[in-house]
Amino acid sequence: MAHKIVEGLLYTESDEWVRVEGEIAIVGITDYAQDKLGDIVYIEEAVQGNKVVKEDKVATIESVKAASDINAPVSGEIVEVNKSVVKDPAIVNNDPYSKGWLFKIKIDNTEEIKDLLNAKGYEEYRKE
Amino acid sequence: MQRGMKNTEKSSLRYIPNTKEQQEEMLKEIGVPSFGHLLNSIPVGIRLKSDLKIPDKISEQELFEKIHKISQKNLNFIDFKPLIGAGSYRHYIPEVVRTVVSYSEFYTAYTPYQPEISQGTLQTMFEVQTHLTRLTGMDVVMPSIYDGASATAESVLMALRINNKKKVLLSSLLHPHYKETVKTYTKSHWIEIIEMPQKEGSIETEELKKLIDSDTACVVVQNPNFFGGIENIELISNIAHENGAIVILIVIESLSLALLKSCKKTGADIVAGETQSLGMDLNFGGPYNGFIASKENYIRQIPGRIAGETTDVEGNRAFVMALRAREQDIRREKATSNLCSNHALNLFAINAYISLLGKEGLYRLAVLNTKSAHYLRSKLIETGKFYGDDYPFFNEFVLRTKDDPKLIREKLFKAGFLPPLKVSDFFPALENNLLFAVTETLSKEDLDKVVDIIRSL
Amino acid sequence: MKLIYEKSIKGRIGFSMPEDRFEDINVKDCIPEYALSKEKKELPEVSEVDVVRHFTTLSKINYGVDTGFYPLGSCTMKYNPKINEKLANLEGFTFAHPLADIKHFQGSLELMYELEQLLKEITGMDRFTLAPGAGAHGELVGVLIMGKYFEDSGKPRHKMIVPDSAHGTNPASSAMAGFKVVEVKSNERGTVDIEHLKSLMDEDTAGIMLTNPNTVGLFETDITEITKIVHGKGGLLYYDGANLNALLGIVRPGDTGFDIVHLNLHKTFSTPHGGGGPGAGVVGVKNHLIEFLPSPIVCKCDDFYSLEYPKKSIGRIRAFFCNFSVLVKAYAWILSMGKDGLKEAARVSIINANYVLSKLKPYYRPAYDRFCMHECILTGRDYKEYGIKTLDIAKRLMDYGFHPPTIYFPHFEPYAHETIMVEPTESESKETIDEFINAMIKISKEAIENPELLKSAPHSTPIRRADETKATREPILKFEEK
Repeated sequence: MAHKIVEGLLYTESDEWVRVEGEIAIVGITDYAQDKLGDIVYIEEAVQGNKVVKEDKVATIESVKAASDINAPVSGEIVEVNKSVVKDPAIVNNDPYSKGWLFKIKIDNTEEIKDLLNAKGYEEYRKE
Repeated sequence: MQRGMKNTEKSSLRYIPNTKEQQEEMLKEIGVPSFGHLLNSIPVGIRLKSDLKIPDKISEQELFEKIHKISQKNLNFIDFKPLIGAGSYRHYIPEVVRTVVSYSEFYTAYTPYQPEISQGTLQTMFEVQTHLTRLTGMDVVMPSIYDGASATAESVLMALRINNKKKVLLSSLLHPHYKETVKTYTKSHWIEIIEMPQKEGSIETEELKKLIDSDTACVVVQNPNFFGGIENIELISNIAHENGAIVILIVIESLSLALLKSCKKTGADIVAGETQSLGMDLNFGGPYNGFIASKENYIRQIPGRIAGETTDVEGNRAFVMALRAREQDIRREKATSNLCSNHALNLFAINAYISLLGKEGLYRLAVLNTKSAHYLRSKLIETGKFYGDDYPFFNEFVLRTKDDPKLIREKLFKAGFLPPLKVSDFFPALENNLLFAVTETLSKEDLDKVVDIIRSL
Repeated sequence: MKLIYEKSIKGRIGFSMPEDRFEDINVKDCIPEYALSKEKKELPEVSEVDVVRHFTTLSKINYGVDTGFYPLGSCTMKYNPKINEKLANLEGFTFAHPLADIKHFQGSLELMYELEQLLKEITGMDRFTLAPGAGAHGELVGVLIMGKYFEDSGKPRHKMIVPDSAHGTNPASSAMAGFKVVEVKSNERGTVDIEHLKSLMDEDTAGIMLTNPNTVGLFETDITEITKIVHGKGGLLYYDGANLNALLGIVRPGDTGFDIVHLNLHKTFSTPHGGGGPGAGVVGVKNHLIEFLPSPIVCKCDDFYSLEYPKKSIGRIRAFFCNFSVLVKAYAWILSMGKDGLKEAARVSIINANYVLSKLKPYYRPAYDRFCMHECILTGRDYKEYGIKTLDIAKRLMDYGFHPPTIYFPHFEPYAHETIMVEPTESESKETIDEFINAMIKISKEAIENPELLKSAPHSTPIRRADETKATREPILKFEEK
């Protein structure tokens, strides 16, 4: 089964997606990542107000038989956390690209965005 | 002929069913001319050149005789009434407990990775979790780890994970083996471990106030403490919580839980303990069974295996291992602990023991222990040979003597008692102190006999 | 199945105790009000018969080695001899108080001492601690000893190398002892990638934790080279004894350069797993590490046994001494097997595993096609296209009356996927193994012809497939009255 990759989003090699809206980056995990994890049962949420550096561990997602760290795709401050996925982690399985977003980062350095993959790049990367 | 017989005898072992002929047949099926071919990946240079220097096999009969003989080199402990406890308590174990742990579907099973054929183990875990939440008043329980000392060490690590602070206050009346275990486990964390002084059998709360600060991760208190003393946990908890420290309550004589106030109500955040008293033999110190209980919000920081209730595809009740993502086989170096094997078989003992005694029995047994111990202490004081600090206690207490403690212990031993612990073995400054433990295994006559021996000194 | 709480009837009891003859004493005068519970704790109330029936019923829905074939890879589920249970329960042992006078437990110490001598000879090590309660407990001891050794030398080291194929306990134990875990890759043959190891091993690395045969059932053929690389940089080699069964009487880890070993007495040495434990994870070291062993260790002097506290000990890791009854069983097993028997155990376990491999490899394509040691790795990857997961194959096996093998372990990129790890052990007969092989072959056909049968398996077990997701999403961890 092919995994959904959404045009217009940016991606990391550790399977996070990023939607840039002005100085805010909205972050979630890709369809591939949620499928690989299986039924998500718990999300150790990001801490609002924390300053993070690119590639820092920000949150953890647990399924029954796996655990995966979610890293910051860019440096900045965590300005908002999606409380509804913390309450009902299945949302991430069902709708990873929209309702299943995890947290928002106020971007420190917009240059860092350039390091992220586009949809095509991510697709290529996952194909390998 | 005789030689031939010996060879056949040598090659057949009662625990290995496949005969030489079958082995040869299997090698043929595998497609190798000899067993040696299967060892090709092992460089010849590192293989053993000669036989191991261990004895030839012996028969079951010879084995029984040999090990039985070794066991008889121990004191015939069963004939001695114990006045010693100190972390290892002799209580009477109902025969049903022994029957249950001898069911081979329990003791020959592995960790219940396949719930469909492991409901016996999983349900027992779940039932013991329930028993221990009710006895401690805590929200969640991890029912099995090696022993109380490792449970204590793991709960200190848990506290360090939770609040990331660097100072640990240990009760000076925590079992000395437990203290040492905590120190070993936390060595790589570069924390400061400070002992809270005791006075007359209890933690000095005024001293605690001086030692504690906002950098204190946890306050670790044993209750009843090593001297059998009952601490005022609420008082200690209040001081700890005012400073943002986690209260870890250590329970070693777990029978006391039947009588004492809910640990949660006294302010404990984590309870770690030993359940040997609930259906386990003394066994020269192990295997026993440790547990960790906590408030709901720390659940993901608890190490070890926990059973949870769910349903199967047909909607029937089913038990499985829950919250698995905390564990080492999934998280590797990021796991809450390296715990893998636990002491699950002992959970069957605990479960059978608590079920048999039940609500009334466990309470009455705890009452009998309390009364017996208080009876002995007051009678010993009456002899005028002993005196001591007047602290509240459960079934253990410390008394001092002006007489020679060595002589007292010898006389008691000669009269068929396992003498009380010399406190100076662990607290060198406290010479002439004896730690008495009194369980239901000592009758009133036994206690009177102890008193007579002391009186006649 | 009803919980014991659901069988509770007010007023029932399953226990009798001596009469309380201390009428003059009131508990309220003994225990201060602030400490005394106002109510009795809400525990079940059942009779002795209720309890016996409850556990007999539970035993019927549990599967053990005595029930049938239990080929869990990496777990060495061999037969647990009955005489060993009896010996461990001799009253001379079970009533021994650990803090009695030392002259009173000479028998217990003698057994510990004698067991240690046998283990030293079997492994080629110089001294053992019998304290650890489990393999992971032993690992913690081992890595703490490594840490202390370097600290004592004045040059503490901070990294630990662990193969990607290792059990999860290895990295977890290293992390607990404060080491940064560095993963060394497996090569295409499934053993340690020597070049990668060379590039990782440096003078800040304490050493390597190695399982041999490794977790894919293969002997680390380059062990001498590995030793050279690690010792060359002053590092230590740690032997995870999970798979020692294959090497009994054939190779001794101590002879191949290992400085520390832990043994799982509940695997190789036949002591039962008890539904998860208790086991024993004894640790052996070479001479240069004896002074760091956890305290206390057993000594013999003029036929008197005593306890010794090593000078630079890492400290205590538990209360008292050891899981004594487990040690009795291991000792009894070694004596029953004798030197030839140990070798025979290794031999037969290797033959049995290779037999399974040769018979099943056409149906469950192995990750590595070469002879294995005492366990073999098959895979279920060819059935993915029919929508079958390896889990489904495992679940279906229960319908045939077998405990499934270990699945999804080892699991490392890019070789080992959908793994099925079969460890028959020496105590299974060819007939049993053949029955298992036949069941596996039938299942491989069912996977193609009737995949639904596998996906909905098991069908004949006490419960059907359980919802593990729900158990973790909405955890119910204790019984509560409605």
